[in-house]
Amino acid sequence: MFNPTVIKNDFPILKRVVNGKKLVYLDSGATSQKPSQVIYAEKEYYEQNNANVHRGAHTLGDEATRMLAESRQTVANFIGAKEQEIIFVRNTTEAINLVSYAWGLDNLKTGDIVLTTVMEHHANLVPWQEVSRRTGAKLELVGITEDGLLDLDDYAKKLFLKPKIVCIVHVSNALGIINSVKEMTKMAHKAGALVLVDGAQAVPHMKVDIKEIGCDFYAFSGHKMLGPMGIGVLWGKKEILESMSPFLTGGGMINEVYPDHSTWAELPEKFEAGTPNVAGVVGLASAINYLEKLGMENVRAHDKQMIEYAIDQLSKVTNLAILGTSDENKRSGSVSFEYQGVHAHDVATILDSEGVAVRSGHHCTMPLHKALGITASVRASFNVYTTKEDIDALILALKKVKTVFGK
Amino acid sequence: MDMYREDVLDHYENPRNQGELTGKDVKTARDSNASCGDMVQFYIRIAKSSDRSPKSAQGSELIIAEVKWKGIGCAITTAAASKLSEYLQGSSLKDIEKMSEEEIMQKGIGFEVNPGRMKCLTLPVKVVKKVFTHTPKI
Repeated sequence: MFNPTVIKNDFPILKRVVNGKKLVYLDSGATSQKPSQVIYAEKEYYEQNNANVHRGAHTLGDEATRMLAESRQTVANFIGAKEQEIIFVRNTTEAINLVSYAWGLDNLKTGDIVLTTVMEHHANLVPWQEVSRRTGAKLELVGITEDGLLDLDDYAKKLFLKPKIVCIVHVSNALGIINSVKEMTKMAHKAGALVLVDGAQAVPHMKVDIKEIGCDFYAFSGHKMLGPMGIGVLWGKKEILESMSPFLTGGGMINEVYPDHSTWAELPEKFEAGTPNVAGVVGLASAINYLEKLGMENVRAHDKQMIEYAIDQLSKVTNLAILGTSDENKRSGSVSFEYQGVHAHDVATILDSEGVAVRSGHHCTMPLHKALGITASVRASFNVYTTKEDIDALILALKKVKTVFGK
Repeated sequence: MDMYREDVLDHYENPRNQGELTGKDVKTARDSNASCGDMVQFYIRIAKSSDRSPKSAQGSELIIAEVKWKGIGCAITTAAASKLSEYLQGSSLKDIEKMSEEEIMQKGIGFEVNPGRMKCLTLPVKVVKKVFTHTPKI
């Protein structure tokens, strides 16, 4: 049975005391906490198996190589992909940069359109600004509706511009909105565009099947899904990845090196220059095993429960406006709000004094906040260890904001 | 919360010297805080001191004759900018130019915050420093 109170016991950090209060961690959207199983897997790797991969003709080298390969298979199975289509990177940001540079520089030219949305995390906007600047391509953004949903009419209209690539966020990190990436991919393909989906906030909370979505690239981070920091994944369709030039070059990604030129290794090594983060990969595979044991259907059901409960309780707080739709079926992972008359940073500082950790600011989505007409918001975000009691603690701590500011 | 002292909240709720200044003798600068989008702009009018100027020791030195500021900010940024504007008004230009950011913060703002909120406190100080790197010659 899925019981977040029992799950909590697997996360050592959640026993911490902050400012004299029991830690209530509601900032999982920024990074999730890690269960003992993941911490142990990394520790065990360094204590028992650590060696560089491929190069060592010795037992530890073989073990490290095998663990890297097995973990890659675990990641591939988790999202319904082929093993050689899983490229390990540092994080979602690096995965998107890989595509923007390795695909973008060779395939975009003056006048081409890159289509993304106003809802994107800066990670799926700034790399496209940069590659557009270098190639002369033009960046277009899809707007949002009053409910904070992507404006699909605007999307359909902008597809008439015949973009070369469409870059969309699966779940908004600032609004928690789930975008209909499957339908949007279909529409984009009809218009002749490739599709990149930023899945950083989706993969931790729901079953993601890249074949079901139908997109061409999918990017996500280990650290938001109970895994370690510094490991992320780019999935890409084999034929597209094969047609692309490498992003980073050097050791590990070559086939043959001559004094004046080189040939590239096969996928996935072609895109993994240098010594890989094997411990991170092993930790990520351990996090996936942990999530699969819980069952992604149960993880998503709990996610919806937390959102429904948080929206319900936050609606009762005066002077507080929840951002985005209140339909939990269209949301995942977080609830953001504006406390009217009190700045988000001030709210967060007061909540912190009560042990409640939330995110405040623009959450790396400045264009979105501008579109919503606000400078900053407060975000409470959840994961498998979040309980109703955590949300109750948030509501109680919000009363202190009223005491301090009289609002 | 120690950070939200009564005087800090008072400056937040009733910010002093808000507004804009125009004219040839006005210097202005703005900056924003990348992590939250908060923005502060200071306008400073510099003039030769008259005998009536309260803080000037010598008769003909340059002083900060008038200060206005505007911005979007949290309680900390707003209160800091407000307190700083009061402190600067009537001060000797030379004295302020000599001061480090830390000194301006201690003397001109005079309250402390958690390490995580330092950027909120330093934003108005950085803006004022920026104004003086382009001081007009009168």
